[in-house]
This record gives sequence, structure tokens and C-alpha cells, in this order.
Amino acid sequence: MIEFRNVSHGPLRDISFTLQKQERAILFGPSGTGKSTLLFLFNRLKDPEEGEIFYNGKPLTDVPIIELRQKFGLLLQSPNLFPGTVLDNLKYGPSLTNSWRPGREKELLEYVQLSPEMKDRDVDHLSGGQQQRVSLARTLANEPEVLLLDEPTSALDDKTGEDIETVLKELIEQQGLTMVMVTHQMAQARRLGTNGLFMNEGTIEEHGKIPEMLEQPQSRALKEYLQG
Amino acid sequence: MSPEISSQSLWFLIIFVVIPLSVSYFYQLGLSRNVIVASLRGTVQLFAIGYILTYLFDLNAYIGIPLMVTVMLVVASFHARKKGKELPHVLPVIFGGLVLVEVSVLAMWLLFGMVEFIPSEVIPMSGMVIGNSMVAMGLALERMKSEFSENRGRLFAALSLGAEPKQASTLIVRRTLNAALIPNVDRIKTIGLVQLPGMMTGLILGGVEPIMAIKYQLVISLSIFSSVSLSAMFVTLIMYRHFFTENKQLLESEEAMLAYASNQEK
Repeated sequence: MIEFRNVSHGPLRDISFTLQKQERAILFGPSGTGKSTLLFLFNRLKDPEEGEIFYNGKPLTDVPIIELRQKFGLLLQSPNLFPGTVLDNLKYGPSLTNSWRPGREKELLEYVQLSPEMKDRDVDHLSGGQQQRVSLARTLANEPEVLLLDEPTSALDDKTGEDIETVLKELIEQQGLTMVMVTHQMAQARRLGTNGLFMNEGTIEEHGKIPEMLEQPQSRALKEYLQG
Repeated sequence: MSPEISSQSLWFLIIFVVIPLSVSYFYQLGLSRNVIVASLRGTVQLFAIGYILTYLFDLNAYIGIPLMVTVMLVVASFHARKKGKELPHVLPVIFGGLVLVEVSVLAMWLLFGMVEFIPSEVIPMSGMVIGNSMVAMGLALERMKSEFSENRGRLFAALSLGAEPKQASTLIVRRTLNAALIPNVDRIKTIGLVQLPGMMTGLILGGVEPIMAIKYQLVISLSIFSSVSLSAMFVTLIMYRHFFTENKQLLESEEAMLAYASNQEK
């Protein structure tokens, strides 16, 4: 489905890997190794300085950029909601292509386990967890095929983070989404991911099934990372 | 009131400089040098412009006005550029904006007979319009830079949801324009109540009837109001594009913007 071929950008050096449809990949590794940069290459918020990325066999640059970004939903560490109501935020993406269907907010809020009455609430008056749920619902409003998650629970307390994680897990399983998630929490990686890509010093040092990688790490760097 | 201030009386203005100087000295503000330099520089500049204006006012309007207005436009452009010198093409954009504002306002004045095309009317009034537009452009540039850096996450979110750079920047453009225009709206609201505006004060002191002075003040105040709005809008709507690449990606630093702009030119 998505193939990175010898991609370099900023800290990333010669990255190659393939991601299959409905795969749930976890990107992990020490800070500053380019995990978030790698995530931004999927939806062309950045373009590789070298190498190429393919989506369903076509170079990523051949897919119209707006269409591509709507297919690859991105959820960042902070909710980054736009000023206004919950509904304003949910409508944002679909309204750009005039595809918003009135009443859809109910379904979207249900996905993220928020009450439909919240649609008229000002986003500034929501708790951090509620804001992150709205942000996720806003991403889902575009009906993405791939979810790109950049430490989506790291800014939340443990309990709220777990709640969001449960919502994510259910959604990904129900809707058969492909997922790429950056996380530092190995327990979360185990719960949400199928495959792992361990990144170190800008390269993919090790990859494989998550449980095996965590239980029998091969490289010295991964062993040190898991211990430390 | 005497219509003329004698040169001897002017010497007593030193008292007005001694006061801030003493404040700086007693509270150790470290501003003494700045106070002296600013006062001397201001005095020299004003006298110099006084002599230049006397000369220009005697010249043919078709030479004196374009000459002085061009000087004002160039100086104002370089000054406003300081607020956004890291941004690509900022100088021509500011210069273009100021020319547009000045030409539009001047055309209005002349078309509706508000001002006569003589140096003694056009030059000081153009100076006020250009000066205020310069400040508005500088403020807009500064505000836009800080809005772009504070709202990086929101911009990434908007772009990822499929927004064009223009749509993603709507909030930033709105906030920038708001910040540039609000002081202006407030100034117009309180005009004549809180302070008598400079031009009107000058005319009244020069012996002009208050109602006539008010007419001039209205012309200049509303001209400034509209030129400030126009210049802030012009610079914001043109410059926000430079924060993005043609692939609708956000340029994250001013260095990246300059590097991108120079690559585009090659």
C-alpha cells in the first residue's frame, strides 16, 4: 500500500519499508531520530530530500495533494482545535470539499464517545481529553484510509490517555484503518500496534512484529532503548 | 497667543529634556544617553526638514511633490522592512503597497477637491499618510510572524485536513488585520474627546478657525484610517503566501523561507 524507497530528509537517512493495508505500525525510538518527520512525509506536509514514496504503486507526488491529505488523517500530540464550536471543527475538513452532510456530527461524536449535545460547545471550554477526542473526530470526518498518530496521548494524564487509546483501538478495528503511530509508551505500542519500526539515529534499526521486538530485541540499540 | 515662537524661547525647551533625563538618572534607567541623542537628533531632523520644506514649497508642484513623496516612500519602505527583513521580497511588497496607498489617497483628495495640488498641502498630508501606513505595515508583519510561529500546530492540522494555504491561514490573517486595525478604530472613536489631533492643533495655533481646522483634520484622519487598513491588508494578504511552498507545505523558519525563495528564483 505505502512504500518508502531510500528516503532521506533532515535527520532521516535512507529509509526503506513497506506498509500493508490495515497494518498498524508503531514508530518508536529515542527522541530526535526523526519519527515525527517520517510521519509528515506520508501526507506530504514535508517532501523527501532524496528517495521516493509510493502509494498503491503510484509515486506520492502523482496523487493530488489535497486528496492525499484527506486520505491520510493526522492527529498530533496537541488537539490544535480551531476557535469556535465542536461542530465548526468537525465540519472543517469536509466543508473544504463541500462534502459535509448535516447531522453527521452525531455519528462522529459517537465514534469518539462524546455526547451529541456537545456539538455547540465552545472548544475552549472543553477538557484536554475532550479536546483530543474532538480532534480525532475532526480527523475522522474526512473518512481517512490511514491514520497518522503523533503521540496522541502523551499530553494527557494516564486515565484520559487510556480512554483515548480505547477509542482509537475500537475505531481502527471497526473501520479497518491502516495506522502509523509514534509513541514512547511500549505498553501502548503492544496494545495498539501489529508491527514495529524501531528508529535510531535517523535509520530503521529494527523492524518486525511488536511482541517479538519487545521480547527478543536483536539490536543493541533496541535492547538499550527498552532497558532505559 | 503669539503666532511666532522666538528662537530664544526655544532654548527653554531644554527644561523638557532635563526632566526625563533626571528621571533616568535618579532611577538608574540607563536612558540618559538615549534621551540626549533622541532630543538632539529630533531637533536637527526637524530643522533640516523645515529648511527642505521651505525650499520644496517654492519649487514647481510637479517637481517638488513627486520628489519629496518619493523620498518619503523609499525611507518608509526601508524602515518598515526592518520588521520583516527575514521574509523574502518584503521590500518591494512594502514599497508597492505604500505607492498604492499614496496614489489612491492622493487621487481621492484631488478628485474631490479636498486638497490642492501644491507642495505645502500635499507634502505634509502625504507624510502623515505614508508614516502611518509604514507603522501599520510593520505591525502587521511582526504580528503575522508571531501568529505563524504560535499557530504551527493549527496550521499543520488545517493543511492535513486538506486546506489550501489560504484557507489554513484565514485565522492568522484575521488576527493580524484585527491587531493592525483595532488601535486605529479606537483612535477614531475618541478623536477630539481624549486629545485634539496634531494637525488640527497646528492649524488652530496657526490662527485658522476651529471649524476649518476640523475639516482638514477629518480629511486627514479618515485618509489615515483608510490607508492604514489598506496597507495592513495589502502586506498581510501578499506576505502570508511566503510562509508556504508551492506544494502547500509550511515553511517552518525564516531561514527556510529565504532558502526556498532563493531556490525558486534560480
